Amino acid sequence: MSDNILQVKNLSVEFKTFTGTVKAVRDVSFDLARGETLAIVGESGSGKSVTSKAIMGILQQNATISQGQISYSDMDLTKIKQKQFSEIRGSRMAMVFQDPLSALNPVMKIGKQITESLVLSGKISRKDAPAKAMELMKAVAIPEPEKRYNQYPFQFSGGMRQRIVIACALAGDPELLICDEPTTALDVSVQSQILELIRDLQKERNLSVIFITHDMGVVAGIANRMAVMYAGKIVEIGNVDEVFYNPQHPYTWNLLAAMPDMETEQDEKLLSIPGTPPNMLHPPVGDAFAARNKFALNIDNRVEPPMFKISDTHYAATWLLHPDAPKVEMPDVLKKRLERQKAKGAYGNGK
Amino acid sequence: MLKYVLQRVLFMFIALFLVSLFTFFLINSVPGGPFENPAIRPEVRLAMERRFHLDQPLIVQFGHFLRSIVTFDFGISLIVQPSRDITDILTERFPITIVLNLLSNFIIVPLGFFLGSLAALKRNRIPDHAVSALVVVFISVPSFVLASLMQYFLAFRLGLFPMIFSTSQNWDWDRLHSMILPILALSFGGIAFITRFLRGELIETLNSDYMLLAKTKGLRTHQAVFRHALRNSLIPIMGMLVGIFVTILSGSVVVEEIFAIPGMGRIMINALLSHDYPLIMATTVMYTFIALVARLLIDLSYSIVDPRIVIGGGRSAARS
Repeated sequence: MSDNILQVKNLSVEFKTFTGTVKAVRDVSFDLARGETLAIVGESGSGKSVTSKAIMGILQQNATISQGQISYSDMDLTKIKQKQFSEIRGSRMAMVFQDPLSALNPVMKIGKQITESLVLSGKISRKDAPAKAMELMKAVAIPEPEKRYNQYPFQFSGGMRQRIVIACALAGDPELLICDEPTTALDVSVQSQILELIRDLQKERNLSVIFITHDMGVVAGIANRMAVMYAGKIVEIGNVDEVFYNPQHPYTWNLLAAMPDMETEQDEKLLSIPGTPPNMLHPPVGDAFAARNKFALNIDNRVEPPMFKISDTHYAATWLLHPDAPKVEMPDVLKKRLERQKAKGAYGNGK
Repeated sequence: MLKYVLQRVLFMFIALFLVSLFTFFLINSVPGGPFENPAIRPEVRLAMERRFHLDQPLIVQFGHFLRSIVTFDFGISLIVQPSRDITDILTERFPITIVLNLLSNFIIVPLGFFLGSLAALKRNRIPDHAVSALVVVFISVPSFVLASLMQYFLAFRLGLFPMIFSTSQNWDWDRLHSMILPILALSFGGIAFITRFLRGELIETLNSDYMLLAKTKGLRTHQAVFRHALRNSLIPIMGMLVGIFVTILSGSVVVEEIFAIPGMGRIMINALLSHDYPLIMATTVMYTFIALVARLLIDLSYSIVDPRIVIGGGRSAARS
């Protein structure tokens, strides 16, 4: 991983609220290579969106980066000024949001929104803007761009709007694209179209993509690597087939076992994770997942587990990987299923 | 579009008719009349009443009134400025009120927008708190109190402005100079209103997803605020401008009194108190008409600001 375009190191983000300080992201580290797609999965409130917003520099006013650095081509994004940041945003990194219905300005013409930042920053002239906008609309497969150029967001369907948001993101020809649950608000058939579009664009333009989702099924189809987040921390990170076929963290086990697949019998019970995520106003001492983990060890309640190395690319933060820990096997349901899928090669062949 | 405008104009006249009808019967149901003054001899009074059709049934009187509107001849004032042509009174008085009103709107809108945006952008910080305090003062202290205070301190003690409205007959500097304090007094309420409203609207649009997208596209904060947030906040505020416009138009009575301005306010009050029926009706019709036209213009301009609003509900903008 010599050609890293982004390196996040020990990032922590806190929110000041009336009831106290919410530790939304705690000591997160990962890097992203050029042309690579990293999926970040986790349940709501696990800190995945906050991490991406910290990278884009669009955290809310009451949020502070309490420690860590985000290195991006010789710059530390946690230190640069907003003015400098606005020059990077759009032209070098861009973002696609969860809800395309509210991500576009309802009273501005579509075409104008796509090229707005290019015109304002003087990269293209007002005269050339329509041609550029239509070119981008073609790139995201909007039919009849000439007609669509002068329309408003309310005249577009949800999937079409998400394509427009992607076109806005691509306008400045960025090298890093952050997709924050881009398919969550769309219905299933449109989801796959948008995923395909993102995958094609990624290949065509050799984009580095951070793909945030809580849908494990989406991850397999789009990412090279994945990170599993829980309570503001990365608990497992590795190549997609490593994490899918050889999961090590009990939380990852649970996530995988909670997802049905084609072979799941009708009367088969899916595994569910007992309890609720911890309150991040007061993160628990030790392993945050311990309370919901039936494999929790005594030490889990006292000391936070470090990242244990499984392979050069695969790490997990659980005391179960410590040499002295008792040997624990993943749940039988999951084991059987993984064997089944390994035989078929169901995961990790998305790329 | 044209059909819609015609429809609206038709409704406008119906509304105008209904307002006049109600006003007419209301003022006539108030006990007393223009000539019920012990100093007027009974036979003079009867003659006067016959002269102005006051002895006829109400419905006939209303017919006379309607004819006067259609012919734009409102008749003469009975009591307030006896025998003077009402059209004359209005053309003399109305420009002063309208200029006061327009000038104070020129203060209200930019200042309200500035303070509202400032408060929203610096939300929960010192500028926001300062603006909020100002808004509370402006809204809760009546305009005549502020007017009197300004008159005392700025005009009387410091001598920066004339105490009362200039007697100059022309639109010269003396007159404008003497209008500054009344204009300010009239503006405070509107400023506070717009500031408070815009702050709320803007905070909402500032937190919208399209503002985030605008930022991640590479827009500077001020570009994103002006191009995306402010325009979207404008839509609900436009409707309020009519209200402010009309309120100032008719609500300047007390302020006009304090600064001795020969505007519409005093005329209206005097007309009401003295049962000067033709004058009351003429001013009512005029104010209603202005309010209705303002409303129509604002409604039509909505479709310019917000493309989602299609005037006339045509099918052209159906989701395609």
